[in-house]
Amino acid sequence: MNEFVERKIALTWRAPKRAYDVVIVGGGGHGLATAYYLATRHGITNVAVLERNYIGSGNSGRNTTIIRANYGIPEAVRFYQRSVDLYASLESETGRGIMHRQKGLLWLAHSEAGVRAERARAEVNVAFGTKTEFVDPDQVKRICPQIDITGGGLWPVAGGTYHPEGSTARHDRVVWAFAEGAMRQGVDIQQGIRVHSLRVEGDRVTGVETDQGPISAGVVLSAAGGHVTTLVSTAGVRLPIRTHPLQAFVTNHYALEFPIIVASATLLFYASQTARGEMLMGAEIDRQPSYSYRSSHDFLQHCAFRAMTLLPFLRNLRILRQWTGVCDMSPDYSPIMGKTGIDGLLITTGWGTWGFKAIPAAGEQLAQLIATGATPELIAPFSLDRFARDRTMADRGSAGTH
Amino acid sequence: MRVPERFRLIHIVASPAALDKAEYLRIAPDEALAFAAPESIDDPYAIVEPDDGYAGLWLDAQEAEKFLARACEWELPPHRPAFAQGAVAGLPAKLWIERDRMLILVPAPYAADLEERLA
Amino acid sequence: MRFVFDNHPVDFQPGDSILIALLRAGLHPTTGGCLCLAGDCPHCLATVDGISYTRTCRTTARAGMVVERHPKDGLPKLPPATQAPPVDVRHVHCDVAVIGNAELPAEGRRVVTLDSKSGQDVIGIYAGPLVVARTAEGMLHVHPKEIVVATGAIELQPVAPGNHLAGICTARAAEKLKAAGVNLGRTVTITEAPLRFEGTGSVTAVVTREGRVECDTVIVDLGRTPRNGLARMAAGLPVRAVGDAAREPQIPACPQAGVVCPCSGVTVDDLKSVWDRGFHELELVKRATLAGTGPCQGAVCVPHIRSFLADRGGKLQPSFAARPVAFQPIMHEAAAGAYHHPTARTALDAEHRRAGAHMERSAGWWRPWTYADPLQEYWAVREGVSICDIGTLGKFLLDGPDAVELLDRLYPTHVATLKPGRARYTLLLNERGYVIDDGMICRESETRFFLTFTSAGSTHAELWIRDWADAWKLDVRLLNRTVALGAINVTGPLATALLRDAGLAHPPRYLEHKIARVGDIACRIARLSFTGEVSYELHHNAGDSVSLWRTLLALGAKPHGLETLLRLRLEKGHIVAGQDTDFDSTPRRLNHEWAVKLDKPDFVGKAALLRTNQLPLDRQLVALETKGEPPGEGAVLWNGKDYAGYVTSSAWSPALEKSIMLGWLRFFNGSLPEEVMVAGKTARRAATPLYDPEGRRARA
Repeated sequence: MNEFVERKIALTWRAPKRAYDVVIVGGGGHGLATAYYLATRHGITNVAVLERNYIGSGNSGRNTTIIRANYGIPEAVRFYQRSVDLYASLESETGRGIMHRQKGLLWLAHSEAGVRAERARAEVNVAFGTKTEFVDPDQVKRICPQIDITGGGLWPVAGGTYHPEGSTARHDRVVWAFAEGAMRQGVDIQQGIRVHSLRVEGDRVTGVETDQGPISAGVVLSAAGGHVTTLVSTAGVRLPIRTHPLQAFVTNHYALEFPIIVASATLLFYASQTARGEMLMGAEIDRQPSYSYRSSHDFLQHCAFRAMTLLPFLRNLRILRQWTGVCDMSPDYSPIMGKTGIDGLLITTGWGTWGFKAIPAAGEQLAQLIATGATPELIAPFSLDRFARDRTMADRGSAGTH
Repeated sequence: MRVPERFRLIHIVASPAALDKAEYLRIAPDEALAFAAPESIDDPYAIVEPDDGYAGLWLDAQEAEKFLARACEWELPPHRPAFAQGAVAGLPAKLWIERDRMLILVPAPYAADLEERLA
Repeated sequence: MRFVFDNHPVDFQPGDSILIALLRAGLHPTTGGCLCLAGDCPHCLATVDGISYTRTCRTTARAGMVVERHPKDGLPKLPPATQAPPVDVRHVHCDVAVIGNAELPAEGRRVVTLDSKSGQDVIGIYAGPLVVARTAEGMLHVHPKEIVVATGAIELQPVAPGNHLAGICTARAAEKLKAAGVNLGRTVTITEAPLRFEGTGSVTAVVTREGRVECDTVIVDLGRTPRNGLARMAAGLPVRAVGDAAREPQIPACPQAGVVCPCSGVTVDDLKSVWDRGFHELELVKRATLAGTGPCQGAVCVPHIRSFLADRGGKLQPSFAARPVAFQPIMHEAAAGAYHHPTARTALDAEHRRAGAHMERSAGWWRPWTYADPLQEYWAVREGVSICDIGTLGKFLLDGPDAVELLDRLYPTHVATLKPGRARYTLLLNERGYVIDDGMICRESETRFFLTFTSAGSTHAELWIRDWADAWKLDVRLLNRTVALGAINVTGPLATALLRDAGLAHPPRYLEHKIARVGDIACRIARLSFTGEVSYELHHNAGDSVSLWRTLLALGAKPHGLETLLRLRLEKGHIVAGQDTDFDSTPRRLNHEWAVKLDKPDFVGKAALLRTNQLPLDRQLVALETKGEPPGEGAVLWNGKDYAGYVTSSAWSPALEKSIMLGWLRFFNGSLPEEVMVAGKTARRAATPLYDPEGRRARA
């Protein structure tokens, strides 16, 4: 008996209509969550989510499922803490198991500069309602005895931060919980439909052109990750987004004996154990921009090597599979959410390596924006016009790995 | 294994046309290394400076082949002598390959790493 | 010869795989399932010498091996930490890599054959192309021009109740077992999907549409599907499959009951359940059941799931992309050939270590943080003379007919007006007008310049200069001198006297530079000041560094480390790019507008500055002072209950007898607060420089 077989969620596919109040492009976590909150919080159900492949086929199903709020700037800490809180109650709200596990996250530093950055992170986190404490190497060892504090004699642990609310959830189940919840309220979710351009009249978006004909809409939200750049360019909007691959791998399944998430910004890797017992590891984004899902040996080789430096028990674990997602990176390492200057056209992008953890909060806030027409205070700092206004959300703390 | 030593080379930056007129360890179209200072360079703006920034050592052909088989992902040029450059053992390396020996140079700040990785 | 299996000795014959030896002894490495003996199925996986998920059918038995069954309930334990030397790796270059067994005319090409029968297990094909294989001698990284995949076919496994029992094997496995002398007892061969297997633990009978047959072993011959995982993971690379690996797959009959995916324990009922819940795409079915995500990566189950979905949905869906790992390596094997990114050492590294310095990594270099007592090091600079290894600075020579043009377009400061022999501080901006680095410009002649950048910023600075020179098609020569030159800063009120003692009769004046000898070593001597005292940067050939350092020590200079240097510059309010700056630090936010000449025709970032300078300021980098211990760097600043910013640099100032800071402070109603709270105490804004505000000491 496999406890991972989905036994509750039921997805109902309906034939598409030709017009909706709201069309959401992209059936990943962000698009589906927005549809879910539109329907459940605001009663807006004449909504379509258009997905070119299958739901969750993009980065929602390719990430490493970490949820955390230990960001470096107040605006980000507040926003991601909202997501941490929404994730924690998502199972009870939807009645669907997303395998949410609060594990605690250790973020390690190996130098004076790293220690400085971690102390700063702890202080700004606490100031804005996120639990993060600075820990010395002895505390690190107590929290995670498997860590080699000497870093293989090469990269000794100089300290770090501990973020007890660091969690994981099963990515697919998050996608499906939102999809099912939206479908039950009457939202149409369509797979295998490709949106290739926007319909614009004057300063106003009026719908989308798809490979199955035009669909009109009062509001269009692009939630298509890095592909947003090509889509909104059809309405003359330019976005400062570059898309880079991000890789990860898992080992085979082992007893659940690694109950924490460990990250090192210096050694550029992070590790956790999935609910199925796989050790999951990832690293930094690939340097060259690309939309490719191709996995590289170079990544596997170096990520495995660096992970073993701190976690020597990994040495004899057998690797099961590796995969690649792509990250839509903004210039200031913060997301871009909200209005575009074209009436009715909204975007959610720039999700870099932190898209999964933001799904509920971004969905909730964008739904509110669509329902009220006003940008909620929580996401106002992340609007596109911040670049023109010289109000970037520079967040070094997020320029990390996950 | 012997210890890499700091080498004094001559570093030249000049117009590609000027560099084409002599045999150098050509590291870029406008940049070359030489074992001795050239008598003249046909470029009034050429920069010619002694360069202490490399450390390395000579390996005999057998040592070189053995080391490169495990530490070098790319294929050496077939002719001899030959100059080649790229990552070797995770370090940015310059190779001067003769018929029976090879000079491997890395930036001197990585001399200790080269020594360790040769072992 | 014997190995140990779950604490019992097992005899084996030379060349036996662990699996053959176990079966011959009447044992089984798992609870059962249809054995393939070809590395496809998960039914012989065990822990061998501490490594779990090892295919015992492909592991040759050796005396003394320790083989353990995976736990019946639950998963193998995480292994303890072990030390082991790195796995050897060998790189091979060739024209063609043949994976598997194919006769290929060489025709003068270099052909490398990787056949698992000869002990070369190919783990994957990657871009390059690169073929990674495991061999008895270590890892093999083959770099071919093209790849031929001749990996044959996988035998289809039976899906039916009871398919988990021992005593089931494929047709080819049966041949191998017979050849190895394994007693199969009464056998029956089936060539169509069975209705069920009967037995407890082991098979006692098999039931097909034709009836029930009692037996000890069921030999399953249900057809084949190409073993083309390697070819599929290599889409877009010069790879072709040949032979059985290139054939159309045989699609088995739609499974009716039993376990489909033995790795994840997914049954036909589970498939029906998720289908009825709206999961219709192979990918969604995989994700909703986890079928195909176990150790065999779908080799057993995918043909059956495709058949199931085709039966329900009317069309055959393509198989999902193979994961880039077959013959899965352990992490130790995968990491073969990897190295840590090295940390650079200056020419004086051994001198610092011999002196007992505490070394820290900073900006990619090992640097002396402190030698013993940072306060003594501090006072040596403020009251005497001290030396510091600044060899990590980015150092460049630039020449060419367009050198002035390039620098004037690149830098926000005036370059054409700088006279030979003079030096000038400069910021480096990006197109958005944000500071990315800072450094000095020393003009040597009409066309030649010596440029410095920060230790952390120099690699990027070089790319930046080259990129703009190319973009503007300017005729310049650039030479990176960062590692060719050592640099020692001689600083303190007695610095000039010390250099006189070292034979330098005419040291340069403030913001001047010259080439001269110190001791017997030729140096570019630049009189600048980061510490606030009289300072001479001595740039010299790195091979002379040790000799110069020892000469200066012998003349009485004491060394100071990075901790002291950072304290000294903080007293002067000098920023450290990267520590005090952020991604969006305009000169105005940094209070460095004096370093930007907007009257220049153009420079990188000017257009952005003209625009953003019209916008109201939101925050600025300011100096702060407070009593007592210095707040930690990163400490949050509060204006009453409002977040006001954070501290970027912080230290105790021995000369001023208070704690001093640089930090980002937000504007409130158009102005900066005079006082903020930090770490529970009041801090006041202060004017920079805090120490020697008129700058008399540096110019003395």
